[in-house]
Amino acid sequence: MALARYILRRLAFVLPQLVGILMVSFFLVKLIPGDPAVLMLGPNATPDAIDGLRRALGLDQSLIRQFAVYIGHVFHGDLGTSWQSTRPVVSDLIERFPATLELVTLGLSLALLIGIPLGIAAARAGRGPLRKIGEAYGLLAGAIPDFWLALVLIYVFYSTLHVAPAPLGRLDIALVAPPFVTGSLILDSLLAGDLQALGSALAHLVLPVATLGFINAGPILKMTQSTVGRILASDFIRYAEMCGLPRRVVMRQAIRAALPSIVTIVSVLYGFLIGGAVLVEIVFSWGGAGQYAVQGVLNADINPVLGFVVFSAIFSLIVYLCVDLAYFLLDPRTRG
Amino acid sequence: MQSQADLMPPSSASPSDPLLRVEGLHVSFRHPVDPPTEALRGIDLTIERGEMVGLVGESGAGKTTLARAIMGLVPQPGRIDAGTISFRGQVMADLGDDALRAIRGRNLAMVIPNPRSELNPVLTVGEQIGNVVRHHLGLGRSAARAAALDMLKAVSIPDPARRLDAYPHELSGGMAQRVVIAIALACSPAFVISDDATSGLDVTVQAQILDLLRTLIRAKDSSALFITRDIAITAHFCDRIVVLYAGEVVEVATVDTFFDRPTHPYSLMLLAAFSHSADLRRRWTVPPDETLPGAGEGCVFAPRCVRRQPRCTSEHPALRRLGDARAVRCHFPVGI
Ligand SMILES: Nc1ncnc2c1ncn2[C@@H]1O[C@H](COP(=O)(O)OP(=O)(O)OP(=O)(O)O)[C@@H](O)[C@H]1O
Ligand code: SF4
Ligand SMILES: [Mg+2]
Repeated sequence: MALARYILRRLAFVLPQLVGILMVSFFLVKLIPGDPAVLMLGPNATPDAIDGLRRALGLDQSLIRQFAVYIGHVFHGDLGTSWQSTRPVVSDLIERFPATLELVTLGLSLALLIGIPLGIAAARAGRGPLRKIGEAYGLLAGAIPDFWLALVLIYVFYSTLHVAPAPLGRLDIALVAPPFVTGSLILDSLLAGDLQALGSALAHLVLPVATLGFINAGPILKMTQSTVGRILASDFIRYAEMCGLPRRVVMRQAIRAALPSIVTIVSVLYGFLIGGAVLVEIVFSWGGAGQYAVQGVLNADINPVLGFVVFSAIFSLIVYLCVDLAYFLLDPRTRG
Repeated sequence: MQSQADLMPPSSASPSDPLLRVEGLHVSFRHPVDPPTEALRGIDLTIERGEMVGLVGESGAGKTTLARAIMGLVPQPGRIDAGTISFRGQVMADLGDDALRAIRGRNLAMVIPNPRSELNPVLTVGEQIGNVVRHHLGLGRSAARAAALDMLKAVSIPDPARRLDAYPHELSGGMAQRVVIAIALACSPAFVISDDATSGLDVTVQAQILDLLRTLIRAKDSSALFITRDIAITAHFCDRIVVLYAGEVVEVATVDTFFDRPTHPYSLMLLAAFSHSADLRRRWTVPPDETLPGAGEGCVFAPRCVRRQPRCTSEHPALRRLGDARAVRCHFPVGI
């Protein structure tokens, strides 16, 4: 079947892509100044002790060799240990990545709920006031930094109105987290039937999700508006009008034709936000993967950084695979 | 101004309204800086039930603009400055958007050129024909599919059952043209406009498609406005011919009289261009004389006219009646 062949062909590219991404990240991370051996042993270490640790870590080898060793470990599912947490990076990330994923997925969903209807309305409005509103929103959402909006929301809803929980993680400190299954607190508390945890998790999600949703609705709105606008002016919509099809049918055809572009921008945003939401994570002490990677960068702890790259690369590759499948289903011309 | 009765064919002595009546239609395209293009300048035209009228004129004469205006879809940034279009006694401008949509594609259908970019790329042929009959005739899905299959058979598409599920990009130009004819005729419209329906196809396919179009239109007892740059096509296709030049009707005649005794110098030029006689072509084809004042004051054809007299550049000729069903816009018509 065409679809199966298509997926196989795509999957064949995944491994080389992954190695390429890792190679670039590895050498980039190695450019970061700071010697982990020095940082690990502290200010009072003797030069001999530092040299010994460097040898033990393989840091005295050439970069190429170090990379070869690292890749070898990666393919055995070993991303090394973090010297800060002293735990395997894989276990750290399995705990933290779902936190980021939950936040980003909900944030992006909200962004879609805001951006797509506004974008369609603005495209339909032609030159009317709705278009102005759309443009103003796009400009605003593009100009406001997400962490600033997060701080404003915290100030208003936590400090002033006292309706939001403290921006200190994903759950009330007094509560015990439900047993770890998926890593998403919503799903896990549902699985455990723990409604108290569910309520707390949802309450903690509101502000960060609102932040990400508001900011990221901007590009989605713009993309939807320009794509739907372009399609409404296209030959085949003009022809649908000539055939006297009802307005809603013509509009449905236009939106349907705009879907591939919308799927594209969503996939790009999704991949980007895994790391791009880090400032929001920090503001809300989210304890997600982005925050973990930034800690690694600041402390020359390179295994968490590279581990984060591996996780997000795999995630992005999965997202792009889904996008290709969506294209395949949405556009008969790609099925040739 | 010329009264409508002068332009009607002899058979239309009945008091009932003609199928289509265009009166004093002015359409212009506004440009940001340049003065507007006056694409149509006072078009008068009537078409009776069951009549086939050929509309000829060179590129830029305003043929498509007239067709689109009749459909109620003047292309952007054009607008109707004056005049009325009535279809079956109803003034189109008085109808609301929904009423117009109900007529378009149902009673007033258009066959367009280059259909491969005008058909919706993500819908099958069957869905696109089906859409029209579903929304205009209220058929259910399966009845619409059956109707689509019947139409594909009617337009002689090879292997119609298979083509029902084909997408536009899987069709040849000739097949796509047949699909567009099927869409246009699916609801047995009272009036069909064919705008250059076969340009871009090779000659043999062109002849087949024209024959098919004529047979189907006649079989449904519909009227047609048949737009073309190729005056020869109209000879065995139409009852009457309307010649358009620079947005004005310059001659109206039955096909027989037109080819027998054309009277407008531009009509002679058009005929000469298709003539096998080199002498005729040379005698009637003149390069435009740039020193003449532009259109507006005198005859718009004056810069290219072999019969030009001083009066032609100072006085704009009216569309004059010359006996039954015949009119010409010229101070010095040929053979009168
Ligand atoms: N969308 C538009 N914007 C601006 N001017 C236009 C537009 N469409 C047509 N015009 C102008 O209106 C005039 C008539 O164009 P129209 O397309 O009706 O000619 P036509 O007789 O159909 O020519 P052709 O045989 O090439 O199709 C031309 O001068 C053209 O430049
Ligand atoms: S009015 Fe004069 S210029 Fe115009 S077509 Fe007639 S003869 Fe030619
Ligand atoms: Mg045209």
